[in-house]
Amino acid sequence: MQDPLAFVLAMAHIAAAVALLNGILTTIGQGNVAAKAIESVARQPEARGPITTNMFIGLAMAETSGIYGFVIAILILFVRPLINPFLQYLTAMI
Amino acid sequence: MFDVPIHGVVSIGPVDLWITNTIVVTWVIMAVLITFAIIVRIKLKKFTDKPTGFQNVVEMAIEAFDGLMKSNGHKNISWLGGWFFTLFTFLLFANIMGIFPGMRPPTADWPLPFALALTSFFLIQFSGIRYGGWKYFKGTYLSPHWAFFPINVLGEFSRPISLSFRLFGNILGGLILITLLYTLVPAVVSYVVPVALHLVFDLAFGVLQAFIFTILSLTFVSLAAADN
Repeated sequence: MQDPLAFVLAMAHIAAAVALLNGILTTIGQGNVAAKAIESVARQPEARGPITTNMFIGLAMAETSGIYGFVIAILILFVRPLINPFLQYLTAMI
Repeated sequence: MFDVPIHGVVSIGPVDLWITNTIVVTWVIMAVLITFAIIVRIKLKKFTDKPTGFQNVVEMAIEAFDGLMKSNGHKNISWLGGWFFTLFTFLLFANIMGIFPGMRPPTADWPLPFALALTSFFLIQFSGIRYGGWKYFKGTYLSPHWAFFPINVLGEFSRPISLSFRLFGNILGGLILITLLYTLVPAVVSYVVPVALHLVFDLAFGVLQAFIFTILSLTFVSLAAADN
């Protein structure tokens, strides 16, 4: 290992990518919400307004975990709270 | 690249107040909204039974929000309609601020969404205690048994955090995507698709997120007020 900083930064980027993977499941959940809302509107077209409002609430609720993953990825990439301990550990190991 | 620019530091005694871009943009939005409100107040005397032009626009906005308030809010909290309308208009202007050059949407800085979500949190507690009394407190915090009090407190406090992170994450995501595209492929983005990009990430998502923040706060407060 030549440069501890490069190693830590590369690992941080991989960790951000892993944190963003929960977007897959979030998107599946949001798709389910939208599909059910469309089914309800097709069954009862006169209830379109309330169904749309409740669909947006459900979409926002389902989005929460995806947003948490995104915020964690942003923290890992740009704020880097743990970079100093890792660097100290790696330089001590070398 | 994604830091909030700081325009100056004001020292009041031992306290340093940082005048960040968020605060400046918030002042601009406040000036616009207050000016608009004063104009509406002056023109209010000339409003007639047959609305025309400017009066139509104002009445349309108020009636649309009134319908939303009636269909989603409990009748106990109808006196809070003004607060939610103000919240919605402020968030609307704050989220779409990215389309003006040199301005960063202030909701892409976490303290602003968190402050607004904290007001929602206190409104939830206030309306719950006011309309439900001891019953609300017992039903929310001591729900199955008094030993669950710490877990219930954590659950209540996670509400403003998730509410603020939802708004913050969406707006910051749009901002980062736009900034990355402008940096990586400037030729394509500057001349071919900037309109579409800003249309989707600033206007559409901004309006949607302002609506969702308002409607979720309204639903939480209304649930708390209807608890008895």
